[in-house]
Amino acid sequence: MNGVVREARFMLRDRGALMWIALALLLSAAATAFGIAEVREQRATIATLLEEDAQDRADALAGQSDWGGAAYAAFHLTYAPPSDLAFAALGQRDTAPWLHRVRMLALEGQIHEADTKNADFGLIGRFDFAFLAASVAPLLLILLLHDLRAGERATGRHDLLVATAGRGEGLWLARALVRFAALALALLVPFWAGAAIEGAPFASVLAASALVLGALAVWWLIVEAAARRQASPSVLLAALVGAWLALALLLPAGAKAAIEASHAVPDGAEILLLQREAVNDAWDLPKDATMEPFLARHPEWREFAAVDRPFEWKWYYAFQQVGDQHAEPVAEAYREGRLARDRAAGIAAILSPAALVERGFERLARTDTGAMIAYEDAVRDFHARLRAFYYPLLFRDPPYDPLAFERLPRYEPAR
Amino acid sequence: MSALTRIAREEWRLWARSRVVLIAGVTVAVLVALTSLLTAQRVTDEIERRAARQASAEATFLAQPDRHPHRMVHYGHYAFRTPPPLAAFDPGVDAVTGQSIFLEGHRQNTAMFADTRAGADLGGFAALTPANIYQLLLPLLLIVIGHALVLRERESGTLAVLLAQGHSGLALAGGKALALAGVAGVFLVPVAALAGYAAAAGEPPLTAAVMVAGHALYLAVWGALVLAVSLWARQRSVALAVLVLAWLMVALIVPRIGINAGSAAIDAPGKIESDLVMLAQQRALGDGHNAADPAFEALRKQVLDQYEAENVEQLPVNWRGVVASHSEAKLTALMNDFSESRMRLEARQSRIVTLFGLASPTLALGAASRTLAGTDLATHHRFLRESEALRFDFVQALNDLHANGLAYADDIARSSDPEAEQRTRINASAWGLLDTFRFEPDPAATRVDRAALPLAMLLGWLALLGGAIVLGARRLSP
Repeated sequence: MNGVVREARFMLRDRGALMWIALALLLSAAATAFGIAEVREQRATIATLLEEDAQDRADALAGQSDWGGAAYAAFHLTYAPPSDLAFAALGQRDTAPWLHRVRMLALEGQIHEADTKNADFGLIGRFDFAFLAASVAPLLLILLLHDLRAGERATGRHDLLVATAGRGEGLWLARALVRFAALALALLVPFWAGAAIEGAPFASVLAASALVLGALAVWWLIVEAAARRQASPSVLLAALVGAWLALALLLPAGAKAAIEASHAVPDGAEILLLQREAVNDAWDLPKDATMEPFLARHPEWREFAAVDRPFEWKWYYAFQQVGDQHAEPVAEAYREGRLARDRAAGIAAILSPAALVERGFERLARTDTGAMIAYEDAVRDFHARLRAFYYPLLFRDPPYDPLAFERLPRYEPAR
Repeated sequence: MSALTRIAREEWRLWARSRVVLIAGVTVAVLVALTSLLTAQRVTDEIERRAARQASAEATFLAQPDRHPHRMVHYGHYAFRTPPPLAAFDPGVDAVTGQSIFLEGHRQNTAMFADTRAGADLGGFAALTPANIYQLLLPLLLIVIGHALVLRERESGTLAVLLAQGHSGLALAGGKALALAGVAGVFLVPVAALAGYAAAAGEPPLTAAVMVAGHALYLAVWGALVLAVSLWARQRSVALAVLVLAWLMVALIVPRIGINAGSAAIDAPGKIESDLVMLAQQRALGDGHNAADPAFEALRKQVLDQYEAENVEQLPVNWRGVVASHSEAKLTALMNDFSESRMRLEARQSRIVTLFGLASPTLALGAASRTLAGTDLATHHRFLRESEALRFDFVQALNDLHANGLAYADDIARSSDPEAEQRTRINASAWGLLDTFRFEPDPAATRVDRAALPLAMLLGWLALLGGAIVLGARRLSP
């Protein structure tokens, strides 16, 4: 214990060490503040859109006189709000859409709309806490710890120190522990403050903190293993930076390329093409060609399914659904392919502490691929409820009554 | 042999015997070569694939059967953004933005199916591309190789000898700079090779040459920083730590802080957000499908007057087609207003990010490189504008057919009368109205012009660091 207190006093006089720790504190505060500002902006966007969406739907429905026209005109906002921990890891929210407006038309033509932000954001990436903890913090740790032994060796004090300390290991352990703890606190305190402001659940914050500490501990072991070698501080530092580069950058990037090459995902444009051909061909095909595949899914409407005129709304929406049915195998393969890539990435990440931390944070913050696909599934469920609402009106065709729209399904985001 | 080259040769001899330098150098060389080959292969395939898809989209449109022209408006068309040849070096935003847009009447769709949406997520770093290796890894290599350039002489005591022999500090620094420049020169070979490959594939020589020059400038900036630190620092380990910190800030942190700042400073609404605002205004313009919409009353009066007709049935043109054409034009003007303002805001965000290039040469080079390659945000915006023009042209040509090729009486009866419905189908030979679309990058001069600001930032850095080197070399003492 004495050793730790002594080393803490030493560190307070070591300007180099203090500088790295202050830098970590500053970066962590900046990452947290920017993250909170961004999620607040996203929440504000959703709140405004919810109001405008309700207003717009009311306007759209007001001018209608039949069920089919109403279904055509009324859009519904779907969204995935940022979680309480999203400020720390914005993850896929910069590249995958988290907002849609859907209506009764074929869903495949709508769900792939990408409401993405500025492409430069997705390309360069944000400076969020997850990036700091996963990629930058290890390098700061390396800079702090690499020359503990070698620095003393270079100044010629190493052997003297070891001799006077009695047990040499205890000396280095205390010295490294103090620096490790100081760095970890500098990183985590702003994060904890941010989590408190955002009201993030305690369990997630605990898990996230454990993730940061665990990964840093792994990097500490790597530094420790290297530092036992008799080498000059600069050679050690060069080797450690090389190890960092391999583990934090090259390995994830290489694994990403390998996974994407080995796990094929169908070309997304194919989905749209199939759906469009099916929907447009329907206009020129006999009505039965649409109604039969539709009734195969919805036998309950068979007795109301006769189409006598060149245009009827029930037929129009039936071929919208048949368009989706045509694209279904490819859309399903697209979804499965992305999940398979994500699973493979999860396995590959075990080899890279940096990728592991970043994926762990995204998972806790529900900004990972799985969460984005879960959002798409929620949009699909909602669209199915929309169809379940309109089909009785379209097929039974009761007299038009706008009061029925009070029972319109409402989108509820997953909590 | 001059003193300069002698000093440089001595440095090269030492490096050739250093394990650290050799391992680092060979690793980076293999990485650059491998990534270059793979990326060039991938982008070349992609160029062919998208060009083929564009051609097939056009063929499909032309092959459609006889139809009501409004059906073709909704049948729609596709525009593909074909990558320019230099994308083999820097694919830029290609992976982040969708590659194709579905074009149809009354709507501006977004570019869909970006690669990143289906990508394997392994954390913060971008994929391996030659441009990324140059921006991130080569500076690190120069740091590892060169941080001890002068310090080595100082620590081994040879600095005093060299100065006593009458070598000036400036000559010494010049020799060391030459040594480092030699290494950087070797590592310029891959970018030069890729630029040559792109030029052979049709890239203008000007952009290809400026691309190589820009990267030479970037490596010069880092080389100058390494030499300056080696001149001013007193200890090898301190010099290395300072340089690694500089790399961390310049290559990793500042660019991302720039993104945060751009995003925080300017709130550019997403498309869905601005579409909602637009929809409210659009409703005031009337529904182009419904010619009885009261919003078209003024238009009806004007067209009736023009043809001296009593009612729309007497018009020599199809009133529904006139309405479709009129409302498409008004709606497009409105949509373009919104999309222009969205793109303007995005461009302003990106300008803020580029200004962070003052603090990060890596960011400045990245901006210059994407601009020169024709894979920057501005080029994507131009793709959006050009595909919108293509959309508007074919939709209006179809609306023109609708107004002039169909009888109004048949058109209003087609939902209930199968024979009228048959008469409203236009002969398929008319679909030839579709223009062919091949997306081309900006002319070379425009791109070089746009890249001038970030390249000037790099020059500023070089001048600043050059000053620090001269100052440090003049006061060099053992």
